[in-house]
Amino acid sequence: MLPRRAWLAGGAVIAALPAITRAETPWPAQPIRLVVPFAPGGTTDLAARLVAQGLGARLGQPVIVENKPGAGSTLGAAQVAQAAPDGLTLVVSNIASHAIAPSLYRDLRYHPLRDFTHVALLIETPSVFVANPQFAPRGLGEVVRLSREQPRGLDVASSGSGSSNHLLIVQFGQVTGARVNHVPYRGAGPAMTDVIADVVPMMSDSLPSASGHLRGGAVRGMAVASAARHPGFPALPTFREQGVDLVSNSWFGISGPAGLPPAVIGRLNREINAVLAEPATQRRFAELGGLVSPLSPAAYAEFIAGEVARWAPIVQASGAKVE
Amino acid sequence: MKINAKDVASGAFLILLAAIGLWLNMDHTLGTARRMGPGYMPMLVFWVQLGLGALVLVLGFFSGPDPMERWKGIDWTMLIASIVVGTLVWQISPMFGEFFSSTYNGIGLGMLVGFLVICYAVGWRLLGFICAAMCIFALLLEKGGLMLAVAATILISAMAEPEHRSRPLGVLGLMIFLLAMCWWIFIKQLDIRVAVWPMQY
Amino acid sequence: MDIIGNLAHGFAVAFSFQNLLFALIGALIGTAIGVLPGIGPVATISLLLPITFGQPATTAIIMLAGIYYGAQYGGSTTAILLNLPGEISSVVTTLEGYKMARNGRAGAALATSALGSFFAGSVATVVVAASGPLLTSIALSFGPADYFSLMLLGLIISAVLAQGSIIKSIGMVVLGVALGLVGTDVQTGQQRFTFGIPELSDGISFVALAMGMFGIAEIVLNLERPEARSVLKTKVDSLWLTKEEWKRATPSVLRGTVVGSILGILPGGGASLASFGSYMMERKMSKGRHLFGQGAIEGVAGPEAANNAAAQTSFIPLLTLGIPANAVMALMVGALIIQGIQPGPRMVEAQPDLFWGLIASMWIGNVMLLIINLPMIGMWVKLLQVPYKFLYPAILVFCCIGSYSVNNNVFDVYSTVVFAVLGYMFNKLKMEPAPLLIGFVLGPMMEEHLRRAMLLSRGDITVFIERPISASMLAIAAVALLAMMLPNLRKGKEAALSG
Repeated sequence: MLPRRAWLAGGAVIAALPAITRAETPWPAQPIRLVVPFAPGGTTDLAARLVAQGLGARLGQPVIVENKPGAGSTLGAAQVAQAAPDGLTLVVSNIASHAIAPSLYRDLRYHPLRDFTHVALLIETPSVFVANPQFAPRGLGEVVRLSREQPRGLDVASSGSGSSNHLLIVQFGQVTGARVNHVPYRGAGPAMTDVIADVVPMMSDSLPSASGHLRGGAVRGMAVASAARHPGFPALPTFREQGVDLVSNSWFGISGPAGLPPAVIGRLNREINAVLAEPATQRRFAELGGLVSPLSPAAYAEFIAGEVARWAPIVQASGAKVE
Repeated sequence: MKINAKDVASGAFLILLAAIGLWLNMDHTLGTARRMGPGYMPMLVFWVQLGLGALVLVLGFFSGPDPMERWKGIDWTMLIASIVVGTLVWQISPMFGEFFSSTYNGIGLGMLVGFLVICYAVGWRLLGFICAAMCIFALLLEKGGLMLAVAATILISAMAEPEHRSRPLGVLGLMIFLLAMCWWIFIKQLDIRVAVWPMQY
Repeated sequence: MDIIGNLAHGFAVAFSFQNLLFALIGALIGTAIGVLPGIGPVATISLLLPITFGQPATTAIIMLAGIYYGAQYGGSTTAILLNLPGEISSVVTTLEGYKMARNGRAGAALATSALGSFFAGSVATVVVAASGPLLTSIALSFGPADYFSLMLLGLIISAVLAQGSIIKSIGMVVLGVALGLVGTDVQTGQQRFTFGIPELSDGISFVALAMGMFGIAEIVLNLERPEARSVLKTKVDSLWLTKEEWKRATPSVLRGTVVGSILGILPGGGASLASFGSYMMERKMSKGRHLFGQGAIEGVAGPEAANNAAAQTSFIPLLTLGIPANAVMALMVGALIIQGIQPGPRMVEAQPDLFWGLIASMWIGNVMLLIINLPMIGMWVKLLQVPYKFLYPAILVFCCIGSYSVNNNVFDVYSTVVFAVLGYMFNKLKMEPAPLLIGFVLGPMMEEHLRRAMLLSRGDITVFIERPISASMLAIAAVALLAMMLPNLRKGKEAALSG
């Protein structure tokens, strides 16, 4: 199905060569494994597969996506952190594994910065508040007012405890003083079902997973947590426009184990950003509801460091904790 | 009294697990029925299990007779020996190389040795070899590759069948056939993500 | 809505050469991977996803749907022949199907499964086409309280799955619920009973549990009784159903179809109840109920029909709401998004080719599966004639690879070993694993719905009685529990007095 035989042949030849000759062959001499730390089918998986295709064509070696789901995407990240830094094993680093998990899990097996070489940011997708069409408030101000009137707060659903969508709800409560009662679900799908069925009036979701329902009118968009309005949803106001100073994007990029050779980092970053610049990729990513954001390796590492620092107090406040 | 030994043992097993569960559950916040914490449901479940286990145990004293299979002295000895040796091997496994200190390779080696040790007792032999065969698969797969892992699994599992021991050629034929089949199905067709040959990655 | 016209349009789409070809390819691949233990449709579809990038959306979805049904068929084959359930629905199939195979009726069991599934699939296709949007409102009328009561009912009646003492099998259900507690608590995100093992934070793997307790333990037990193995080898009667078997299976298939079609619509876990709901029904209502436990054909016909009907109707939430009901559906959504189609409530109007083409291809896929599977029954039954000493290492190898490939993690292989030892012990103690597996699957859902219901009602327990759906489920559960306990207690008392 995939050119596995070519890989086998290549692998056998390379293994037979002495180490010195191997060092002389230009990277990448073998196919690259890209570990996606989520189950197949999600936004991250899809975007990673799209990038893997383009990247493989540019590098002249296939980039093979390998799903390694589990433990809030930390299992796959931990595996790559321990891999050899030869540029042949990469991981899709993301907000869960590299920004939230360090504060959420007490004994994480890796350090989000020290154990990785961060190569390139792929995509940022904003969070949105969506509500059942029957939900009375029209804007966030009315939501806050309504939530204060209710004795035990307003129910707001999310895709799970400790997810970035959950943390946005926490932040929303902190910033506006709204009284919210967080209702966690096992994934965005079941939560969306209950919003459509009006079991819960409102939910915090990521734009890619909510966009179909928004376009179909099954739910009404309340606010998008990006800095500017999203081009795909020009009518959807941002949090800031409604007087709530919140920007919350989910993001993911590509990283490798600590100590990748600088040549490899540079080449990878160049090729990835070239794939991102292709119109086909731009269009697909826009359909997914995300924004392409090319960064240099150093800028991506800095970005992650900022995210780790930013989420730590919010995770504390959320009360979500995983031992 | 006609003792149903199987029911008595089942009841005891349910009670034991429930007790362990209740003990572990002390770490979790109970909450109240109105606002349940993470420990509330486990508490309910384990208490119900404890109650049912006790009921099964008590009724077991009257609903027999249904005796257990007789255990020989050697069965006991080897069960204990296997647990002791297996745990010991697991604990000292990092000394055998870095490989055994990463992920589950150390405990896997312990399980493999334990299951092989227990095979000394005839009564445990079938279970021991089958489980050992699976353990060697898990141990060899990632570094040794699919082909080596499958070959080793077939070799150890074949020891469970006396007929194979007298006719090793049949095992060899089976091994060649299965290796070819696994390669065709899992590598050629399904292309699952594993190393095929030793030291591939 | 002009259903006939729409369906005709759908068939026109599905009958294009390309779409027929890919429906066939999908059904073939699905059957093949369904037969392999542990390699489920999720793994396969994710491997094939890149191939669909270049196809038109309708073709891609038709092929993926073919894999999904194919895997259901193939999974039943392994369950019947080797006692290896790949998912919750085939756990029930092993109960009577494997017994039938041991009685030399493997051919009949496989034929029943294929024909029953085909019939149920055809009916469910019509249901989806005719009343999909209408049924959506039923799905949406189920709140957390109703799901909780449904799951509780399911747990209580699952004790019926066992042959022996009711109390012991309720004990097994509860043990299963307890095993289901392992993992991350959905409400708080706290880890429970994981012993610091990150692999356990998503819970114990169902494949490892089912494969170990059923498949691997069965290998050891078969090796222990050489006489049981020879049964498999020598006694293979005619492959086809006898007249009497037809008569017994038909009403079961009808009942199973109804049960499955209804439960499949509920996105909060209804489909997983379908096959054993039907099993329970057959065991209480069918003419052959006294034969249950010895290989009753009703116990294959009903659940298999129910399972396939539910597999089809579980497309309803996806097609009308854009909400995936299970992992396979989530992958389908992924495939659609890759194609630039956002699944959502407007899909029926916006993508009529896709919607009606898919519905037509569901039926075509079922026909193809029948055509593929009926002639293969002979071949499968021949497989049982392979000497067991050669068969068992092969099963073992496939189980190892299968359990590994679920998460690409050797941890799952080791868990399978642990559950094999447990399953072996359970067999020696006459503790039956089927109720345990049902408890394992339904328990976590029940807890989730219970706590969500309480969270939303602000701790008001009366929601469970105030809501009519929930109240009636609870009433049925109470009656069922009483009906089960009474004869058992009486028997226990008699035994106590006479002993």
